[in-house]
Amino acid sequence: MIPLLRVELVKALKRMRTYVIFLIVIGIPVIMTIAVHANPPGAPGRGESGRAGGLFYLATNTGLVMPAAALRLMSGFLLVIIVAVFGGDAVAGEATWGNLRYLLMRPISRGRLLGTKFLVALLCAWIATVLVVLAGFVAGVIAFGYHDLNVPGLIFSSYSQSAGTLVGHLGIATAYVAWSLSAVVAFSFLFSVLTDAPTGAVFAGVGLYITSTILDAIDSVPSGIRNILPTHYFDSWVDMFTQNHVSTDMWKGAGITLAYVVVFVGAAAWHFRRKDILS
Amino acid sequence: MTIAQPLAPSGETVVEIAGLSKRFGSAVLAVDDLSFTVERGQVVGLLGPNGAGKTTCLRMLLGLIRPTAGEAKLFGTTVRPGSRELFRVGALIESAAFVPHLSGMQNLRMWWEEGGAKWRDADLDAALAIADLGDAIDRKVKTYSQGMRQRLGLARVLLGRPEILVLDEPTNGLDPQEMREVRQLVRRVADAGATVLFSSHVLAEVEQTCTHAVVMDRGRFVAGGSVASLIGTSGSVYLDVSDVDAAERLLATFPNVTSVTRESPGLVLELEDHGSRAALVKALVDAGIGVDTVMLRRRLEDAFLGLVEDWRS
Repeated sequence: MIPLLRVELVKALKRMRTYVIFLIVIGIPVIMTIAVHANPPGAPGRGESGRAGGLFYLATNTGLVMPAAALRLMSGFLLVIIVAVFGGDAVAGEATWGNLRYLLMRPISRGRLLGTKFLVALLCAWIATVLVVLAGFVAGVIAFGYHDLNVPGLIFSSYSQSAGTLVGHLGIATAYVAWSLSAVVAFSFLFSVLTDAPTGAVFAGVGLYITSTILDAIDSVPSGIRNILPTHYFDSWVDMFTQNHVSTDMWKGAGITLAYVVVFVGAAAWHFRRKDILS
Repeated sequence: MTIAQPLAPSGETVVEIAGLSKRFGSAVLAVDDLSFTVERGQVVGLLGPNGAGKTTCLRMLLGLIRPTAGEAKLFGTTVRPGSRELFRVGALIESAAFVPHLSGMQNLRMWWEEGGAKWRDADLDAALAIADLGDAIDRKVKTYSQGMRQRLGLARVLLGRPEILVLDEPTNGLDPQEMREVRQLVRRVADAGATVLFSSHVLAEVEQTCTHAVVMDRGRFVAGGSVASLIGTSGSVYLDVSDVDAAERLLATFPNVTSVTRESPGLVLELEDHGSRAALVKALVDAGIGVDTVMLRRRLEDAFLGLVEDWRS
């Protein structure tokens, strides 16, 4: 497993595209911070505090909320596409090069190769998520300082959070978002095995996210279904910053994500072991 | 199930294809009850028109495709994905392909290590000699020409000092010079003791390079055996002689000459076997008739087309 993992990591990390993606996820939070610093937003109205706008308002108070605002905005779409690229390209990309047949005519187990490829895709997706937070953190602290959050009467009353709590919340939020996105990675990965077309597999992951978001927004869809959608608890981490409340919904969200990852990767492995390699 | 026919009766069987079939979907039967064996040291050409099922057969032999029925065996063991026996095989299937954003050298090394082998065990010198890429070995593969890729592909094949080479149309897309280099390479590797199984639709290539051939069409076994025997079944000979009339009269008296026809400026003989050509020429020369050319007319191409046609009808 270890030599396999090392080789697959090198393949991913010697690729220009990986760095372009990393540059994008670093650059956008920096640009956001500059924009917010140049033109600070006003206090959000009632009920708007959970949106990215509310987080940007809090971010002007302390740089420690800036990474959360960046994460909220990026995880809404761009990060989804990026992690879908990592998942969707994993196997189909190799098939498109024609190199997959050369890997599989060696005495290595297909299951192990698949597991390694998924792990590398996950690592890249997680690194991208962490980079968003790190870039937002550095830019935010430079622009707005490293100190406690103190907002007079944001929603009902004045609101504060210590710097230490904020950093802890940032850690939890990063891990939670990275993990939640893993369901998208896994779905793209499944399609990366089912088809030999990387773009199709990327669209599958993005499509899953969009479909889930749309279904979740329709009130007439039974809550029993909406509650198990992969994106239903996607933003439940935001409460940590807007209400200083660590929601138990995050446990539900993490559990549902785990179920999706197991199902998607399991299906991918089942198919891959039987697949005729024609690429 | 057909009993596998050995191409030559003696020696150790290293490849055994037994009743092998592959159905894609419900309609397409790409390989249909195919059986043949390859003995150690043979250079076997797998011949057939496009769509005959050659590639599908070789992919099953390498564990890339699951047979619908039958077995493909390497060294007596049925091949499955990831079989240990694959360590002893070097293969090139369709075009050589690599990770484009890595250098030639990185590709060789990663492919080698990904298979679970240690880099110091690879036969890098032999591989680099074949690749003959010079400093380009450290350039990204996406900058390589088709010929360079194919040479790197052959280098990768040789990294593990394979006992069997499986090559699927290895000269496809190469220029004549590169084709000749590949054929010479195959011969060199074979002379060093390796067994070679390679598919081709270039018949001259099989004729020049192989000791044995398997002819297949529409997924089925049509004929197999030594190249000489495949060419030799009821051959015809073209003769250029100084006196056509005298030669025609003389040759008609030989019992193994079934017919003599004029084909300007010479004669075409239908023979029952080839062993007697020398005797015929000697008889002509003894009778004072000059012989300029003796040409075997039935090349593998005719044999191949004849076999496939016979089989189809």
